[in-house]
Amino acid sequence: MLVQPLELDLQHLQKEVWALGLIVERAIVESVDVLQQRPLGGSQPLIILDHQITQKRLAIELDCINLIAAQHAPGDDLRTIAAMLEIATELGRIGDYITDIAKIHFMLVRVEAPLLELFGDICLMATKTQSMLQRALEALQRQDLALARCVFVEDDEVDALYDHVYLGLLASMGGRSRAVIKKMRYLSQIARNLERAADRVTNICEWIAFSLTGELALVGDEKIYQEDFV
Amino acid sequence: MKTRSIFDKELRRIQDEVLALGSMVERSLVESVDLLKRRDMKGSHELVAQDRVINEKRFKIESDVLTLIATQQPVAIDMRVLAAVLEITTELERIGDYAKGIAKINLLIGEEPLLKPLIDLPLMAEKARDMLQKALEAFIQRDVELAKSIPPMDDEVDQLYNQIYRELLTFIIADPQSIDQANYLLWAAHNLERAADRVINLCERVVFTVTGKMVEMDTEEGIAEIN
Repeated sequence: MLVQPLELDLQHLQKEVWALGLIVERAIVESVDVLQQRPLGGSQPLIILDHQITQKRLAIELDCINLIAAQHAPGDDLRTIAAMLEIATELGRIGDYITDIAKIHFMLVRVEAPLLELFGDICLMATKTQSMLQRALEALQRQDLALARCVFVEDDEVDALYDHVYLGLLASMGGRSRAVIKKMRYLSQIARNLERAADRVTNICEWIAFSLTGELALVGDEKIYQEDFV
Repeated sequence: MKTRSIFDKELRRIQDEVLALGSMVERSLVESVDLLKRRDMKGSHELVAQDRVINEKRFKIESDVLTLIATQQPVAIDMRVLAAVLEITTELERIGDYAKGIAKINLLIGEEPLLKPLIDLPLMAEKARDMLQKALEAFIQRDVELAKSIPPMDDEVDQLYNQIYRELLTFIIADPQSIDQANYLLWAAHNLERAADRVINLCERVVFTVTGKMVEMDTEEGIAEIN
C-alpha cells in the first residue's frame, strides 16, 4: 500500500521526539553518576547533553509547525502533531530539572552520615525516574496506551520516596550545624527536581494517551494542574 | 481582506492575549506574597482557584496558534514568532503555578504567626514581576537589547534569595520549633527564584525569535550562543 507523505512526516516526527527522549534519558543516567560521584568514563557531560536537548527540542518544534502549515492535516494527525509538540516541551523541562541537579550537587560537595540513607533514596528516585521515561518512550514508539498508563504506578513510588526523603530531612534538621542543614536543603531540592521530572514523565504519558484516543480526560486536573506548592 | 492582513490581525490579537495572560500571572505572583504577608487565607484560596483560569487561557492561546498555522501560510519569521508564543504561554503558566504554590504555602502555615515580618520576599516578587513585564515588552517590540538587559536583574533576585536563605537557616539552628515554617518560607523564596529563572527563558526566546540564534543568558558566564 502506498504510504502517504503526511504519514511519513508523522513517523519521522515521532522518531525525532523519541530520539530527544533518549538524550534526556541519557542525561538522567548521567545525573545518577554525578550523584554517586562515579567517574564519567566515556559518557558526555550533562552540559553538552543539555545543549543537545535544547537544539533538538527547537528543531522538533519547527518541524511540528512546518508540518501543520504545509499540510492540510486531518483532525487525528493534527492531534498527533500537537501532542508531539507538548511531549518535546515536557522532555525539555525534564532536561532542565536534571541539569539543575548537577549544579546543586556541585554545591553539595560530599554526602556523609547522617544523610547517607536518605541520599540512597534520592539515587533510587533518579533510577526510577529513568525507568519511567524508558517505559514512556517505549509506549510512544509502540503507540501502546496500556503501557503509557502503567507509568503512573511508578510515579506513585517516586512520590512516596520523595515524601520519605523530605519528611526525613525535616525531622533530622534540629540541632544540626549550619553546614549540615545547608546540605539537607540541597538534598531536598535534588529530591524535588526528581519528583517534578517524574511528574513530567506522567504528563508525557498523558499526551501519548491524548494522541491515541483524542480524549483530554487523562490530561486533566490531576497532573497538568499540579497540586503541589513548588 | 487579503490573507496577509488576516494573518497580521490574528497574530496581533493572539499577542494581546499573551499580554493579558502575562498581566494575570504578574498580578498572581505579587499578590501571592502579599497574601502570605497579610496572612489572608481567603485570598489565598481564591488565588489557588484562579490559577485554573490561567491554565485554561494558556491552552486557548495554544489552540489559536495551531489554528492560525494550519489555516494561514506563515513565513519563516512568523513561524519563529508563533513558536515563541507557544513557549511563552507555557512559561507563563508555570510562573502562575509558582504563585499558586506560594498561596498554598500560606494555607499550610495556617494561623501560626510568621517567624518575622516579610520584607525581602515581597521585594523578590516585585523584582520578578518587573522582569516579566520587561520580557513581555521585549517580545512584543522584538527588542533584543531590552531582552539582553533583563538577566542582570535576575542576579538581584538571586541575592535576595541567598539573604532569605541565610536568615531562615539561622532560625532553624536557633529554634527547632521553627523548622517547618522556615522550610515553607524557603520554598516560597525558591518559587520566586525559579519564576525569575523562567523569565530568563523568555528572554532567550525573544533573542531566538528575532535573530534565529539560541543563546544562554547565564549572567555569571555572560550570554553564550549555543552551537
